[in-house]
Amino acid sequence: MDDFEAFLNQGGIVEPDDAMPDEYRIAVFRFIELHANSEQMGGLTERDWIPRTPGLRHKMAVIAKTQDEFGHAHLLYMVAADMAIKTRQEMIEDLYAGKSRFHNVFHYRAKTWGHQVAIAFLVDAAALASQQAVFKNCSYGPYRRILKRIIAEEGFHMRLGEDRMMRIAQGTRMQRDMFQQAIDDWWWPALQLFGPDSKPNDMLLRWHIKSERNEILRDRWVQKFVPMLQSYGFTIPDPGLRFDEDTDRWVAGPIDWEPLKKTFANVGPDSARRIGEASAHWEESAWVRHALETTELAKT
Amino acid sequence: MTTFEVFLKKDGRDEFRHVGALEAANDELALVSARECYVRRAEGDLLWVVRRDNILHPDRDFTAPNATKPHRHHSGEAVAARRKALRESTQTNG
Repeated sequence: MDDFEAFLNQGGIVEPDDAMPDEYRIAVFRFIELHANSEQMGGLTERDWIPRTPGLRHKMAVIAKTQDEFGHAHLLYMVAADMAIKTRQEMIEDLYAGKSRFHNVFHYRAKTWGHQVAIAFLVDAAALASQQAVFKNCSYGPYRRILKRIIAEEGFHMRLGEDRMMRIAQGTRMQRDMFQQAIDDWWWPALQLFGPDSKPNDMLLRWHIKSERNEILRDRWVQKFVPMLQSYGFTIPDPGLRFDEDTDRWVAGPIDWEPLKKTFANVGPDSARRIGEASAHWEESAWVRHALETTELAKT
Repeated sequence: MTTFEVFLKKDGRDEFRHVGALEAANDELALVSARECYVRRAEGDLLWVVRRDNILHPDRDFTAPNATKPHRHHSGEAVAARRKALRESTQTNG
């Protein structure tokens, strides 16, 4: 392990066929599987909103975004599968059986278009910041290479999210109220997405998977979104939030980590419905997979 | 399902580059999936999709011996030294 860590500290990049300690293999695999699962569940959320998205232009963009997310999931499942712990099929089956984790934000229900806008802007920004911090210095080669592509596409989603937010922010009283409600509902889940402060011995930092501590990423997100949302006339649902004149920074109030823990255990507010629906769709489409595997087509 | 590797080429000057892998039930779906996963926004205009089984991939030990063959390089340093020495001796003698 010491030699391996020295190799990583010198900027070494690990490829799938290389020898690597089991602990590294398992930790990196779990991290990529979590990311893949989150893209998959995110794609399903996005798909639910295709019929309800207002306006043809935005509807088409949501279709593209849905395809992007499922594409990301597929590519990440391939990278994870090459770590020889689970196959892609096994990962999808575990996800739909409720045996795997996916990001906390997909354990809540998107109830209004305002919620979708908050997700597309606030939540996607948090996810993108986390991915960029991994891409910056990731020691596992295939993950780093695929992240480059994923980050580029998430950049389009962010811009789309800001476009939607500006429209709703410049809309009617009712639209602004809807968006304020969405900020109230999604502010904390988005903040919790970064996770609690990184532990001093966080192996993902030590092995150059993550390049920044959770609390630093979270703080950067707060510095960006508090002044932005306030400047558009919205309020932040954090009674403990204050501006520190000495450091010239916003300081968030204490964070309740219980909701995050619940989502990790797949018992968040909307976990059962989300997993149940995904699982039902998977079973309903079993005949398609069966047909593909068994018909003449498969022999081409 | 079969695993495929995907290669993309951007324009006349670039080489084909590996972009990632995918799983598909057959060749036709592999091509469609490659386009929809990897060429979504004109990231390239030529595509190679290869069954992973058909790729030979020896390990690092196979390529290692060629990393230590200095006689296959020529830094030009020895020639430069000789050039300089010859020039100096010609000037002295001349």
